Amino acid sequence: MSAISEEKYMSISPAEFFYKYREVAGFANPVKAFYQVVKELIDNALDATDMHGILPDVKISIEKADEVQEYYKITVEDNGIGIPPDVVPYAFGKVLFSSKYVMKQSRGMYGLGVKMVVLYAQMTTGRPVEVITSRENYRMIYYFKLRIDINKNEPVIIERGAWRKTRDWHGTVVSVTIEGDWSRAKQRILEYLSRTSIITPYANITLITPENEIIHYSRVTNAMPKPPRESKPHPRGIDLEMFKTLINNNGNGEEPVEEFLTSNFQSIGPSTARAILNLAKIDPYKKLHELTESEIQRLFNIIKSYDKYKPPSATSLSPLGREVLEAGLKRIFEPEFLYAVTRSPRSYEGNPFIVEAAISYGGNTPMSPQEQPIILRYANRVPLIYDESTDVVTQVVKEDVNWESYMISFPAPLAIIVHICSTKIPFKGVGKESIADIPEIRREVKLAIMEVARELKRYLVKKVKEKEVMRRVEILAKYIPEVARSLATILGDNSSKNRIEAALTRKLIEYVSRRSNVSVEIVNSIVKSVEIGV
Amino acid sequence: MSTISKTDVKTRMRALDLIKENFKRLLDELDKSGKLHLVFPKRALSNTIYDQKSKILLLGPDVQYRSFTDINEAKKFTQTILMASIVYEALRNNEYPTIRDLFYRGKHTISYTSIDGKKVSENSWDDQRESDSVIRDLEVFLNILREDLLILSKEKGKVVGNLIIKSGDDTIDLSKMGHGAYAIEPTPDLIDFIDVDAEYVLVVEKDAVFQQLHRYGFWKKNKAILVTSAGQPDRATRRFVRRLSEEFKLPVYILCDSDPYGFYIYSVFKAGSITLSYESERLATPTAKFIGVTLTDIFGTEIFKEILRDPQIKNTLEEIAKDVLKLKSKEPYLSIEERRNFVIKAKLRDIERAVELVGYRVAEACIGSPEYRSKIKRKEGVSGYPWFLTPEWIRELCIFFYTTSKLEIEAITGKGLRFLADIYIPRKIENEDWID
Repeated sequence: MSAISEEKYMSISPAEFFYKYREVAGFANPVKAFYQVVKELIDNALDATDMHGILPDVKISIEKADEVQEYYKITVEDNGIGIPPDVVPYAFGKVLFSSKYVMKQSRGMYGLGVKMVVLYAQMTTGRPVEVITSRENYRMIYYFKLRIDINKNEPVIIERGAWRKTRDWHGTVVSVTIEGDWSRAKQRILEYLSRTSIITPYANITLITPENEIIHYSRVTNAMPKPPRESKPHPRGIDLEMFKTLINNNGNGEEPVEEFLTSNFQSIGPSTARAILNLAKIDPYKKLHELTESEIQRLFNIIKSYDKYKPPSATSLSPLGREVLEAGLKRIFEPEFLYAVTRSPRSYEGNPFIVEAAISYGGNTPMSPQEQPIILRYANRVPLIYDESTDVVTQVVKEDVNWESYMISFPAPLAIIVHICSTKIPFKGVGKESIADIPEIRREVKLAIMEVARELKRYLVKKVKEKEVMRRVEILAKYIPEVARSLATILGDNSSKNRIEAALTRKLIEYVSRRSNVSVEIVNSIVKSVEIGV
Repeated sequence: MSTISKTDVKTRMRALDLIKENFKRLLDELDKSGKLHLVFPKRALSNTIYDQKSKILLLGPDVQYRSFTDINEAKKFTQTILMASIVYEALRNNEYPTIRDLFYRGKHTISYTSIDGKKVSENSWDDQRESDSVIRDLEVFLNILREDLLILSKEKGKVVGNLIIKSGDDTIDLSKMGHGAYAIEPTPDLIDFIDVDAEYVLVVEKDAVFQQLHRYGFWKKNKAILVTSAGQPDRATRRFVRRLSEEFKLPVYILCDSDPYGFYIYSVFKAGSITLSYESERLATPTAKFIGVTLTDIFGTEIFKEILRDPQIKNTLEEIAKDVLKLKSKEPYLSIEERRNFVIKAKLRDIERAVELVGYRVAEACIGSPEYRSKIKRKEGVSGYPWFLTPEWIRELCIFFYTTSKLEIEAITGKGLRFLADIYIPRKIENEDWID
């Protein structure tokens, strides 16, 4: 999600927000909350690394923190860009406002995730969050222990410190202690980690569980997706509320409306701005604070209905790319065949999106269910584990793709990955686990899956053909010793028989090799394996 | 060596050379044209022709290419070469294998490891039918009969009569066999006929009837050479009969059961068999005559006239054989009462075999039993063998279908051996009451 959504809630205290929306944010019960805390911290750790071009090393440790109570201390360490010390209290203890509207793909939810983690810890165990962080060019490492003053929405620093770096370290270590149900959350968390690792083959991820088990995913490629760049919103992607906020937050309101349009939106240059303002019958030089409520409404309507914009730019998106997808699948499934595709950017309602798909067949790919392949869904690099049946990807797999025409009949050792990245993922419902059926997205998902399935079919056809050729070669080659021996019996005498037999065997091997286009070595290997009984 | 007859030695040398020559040519062709295949006349019903002029079954002009690289033919190709090598070795070792021996000598497993690592195993051939078929292929490929490759088979045919032969290095008088008879050797072409004093050859299908006629002195009384095939004739018996017919211009009469199997045995002697049509030229006796037992011997011809009162039957039969109405009429050899005692009811298998001989149309027109009529329906479209579509045979089989009756020769002896030997056979020959 983008920072835009934060803006909607800027006047609400994080505490109030959290109390109101803990279910929405996924903290409804001790199982879900545990999962959500770990997920938020890992997502942040990865955002701090791969989104900035750093190969991630992420360590997660979960320890029992109380003899009696079900308290757990969760520590997540990354080697990311780090957080400036003056920002730390606000990053963890207060909802930050951004004065500019920018759009960029990222994992985090609402940008509020980590504050909710802190609040949840405070609510359940009362223990503060601990943060250790440093950036690349810093000479110091900073340490904070802090909590949130819920009423004031202000960070309270309990302890702080700094020490000199003895080695070239950058990154962030966050520790929180929460009450949770580890035994029931464990499976979820492991699943989440495994699914995350599939699409982050460039990351080292280590988890130490309370039972001291170590789960480790080691880096298998240095190839990383290109980090996304911030971009301005596309005019088709905004809503009225956002539009008004943009106008109200624009400095002193002295800026002419034409300039406001060209500097705050992508795809609006001077001529487009003129055209829009002309249609809205607003003077381009009118200052922002002079606009009346009805003019703003009119302008917004024109902006939304104008249909000559260039499509939204995809520079704010960061698809994984073929190489990463294939490396990830290879690491986990060692498949017999795999193929990945990244489609060109498209947009829906002014939001750019990219669909990627990968297919894994055979090897250690697990057997699929009776009716469909294994579907691994991702949105903005976050695995979607629940609500599979209502997801647009599942619908495409089940309804739009005729698997039989790709020579697949289920169950098959077949897994499909679909990754959708966008500045705004159209989630269905509050669970954020399934993507809505948006026609533009559905179409792209379908094309992506069909493309990888087509490659699989090509492979399967080739395999069948090769097998058929080999079968034919076997049928001929197995008779070569018999034919050579029999002919040598007729044509040779006691002294020449063996020589003739050997020469004939060679000749027949070459003959079969030539006729079937299979190497002499392969034919020979079959001939060598022949045993003639008595 | 001296214990082996000179004729065998000569035959052996010729066969060895022939095999070597043919397979050397096979390899020469591989070098020259890059093709490894056996070329020989196609042995199939579709390539079996009834030659109206010589009245025998012949192989047609179709040629078969058995290529080593054709995956459907590779095994047969291998089997043929394997068989050739076994036969070759036997010839070289002065052996006389039977077709059963050859089956056992060549039967072994061929196993190999397939590309996916599985051990696969098969037999060079599984049953004797398969190896027998390979022997026949080898015969047509080499254009030689297996007897000339000194491959033996069980002796089945027997002969007695005023005939002196030389077999191997021995001279045998076939009139001095006591109660026994000379068993026709599997290589009748290696027999020399020294002297013959006979007026005709009588071939009897049933061994039991042969023995009775022999002990009765039939051949002495009638100056006949008496032969039995003991059921379906083997190649040696057919070749032996053919040589008697050809070399001494002796008439040949065949006496069989009065049923479709008997009729077919006659046709094998006369025209050849479908599976061995490549040998007909040497095995068939086109002048052989079916002396009996005919249905008209049992029922006379009156019954046929009755059948023809049905205009539909009459039209159908006339369409198939125009002269069916112009046949001579005759009286039966059996009285009504004898007929009741000797005749047995034909089974469905007999009826079906008869349909194969003359075709479904004749059967459908003439058949008397509604039960069989519905059962032979599935044979619709069978058109019969051309050599059975003559007026005489159509009359015979029409009566057969109509009465669904058959009769074994033994039944005639039930009327008295004397009747068979002194009346039935001589009178039939005298009256030329046979089917040609």
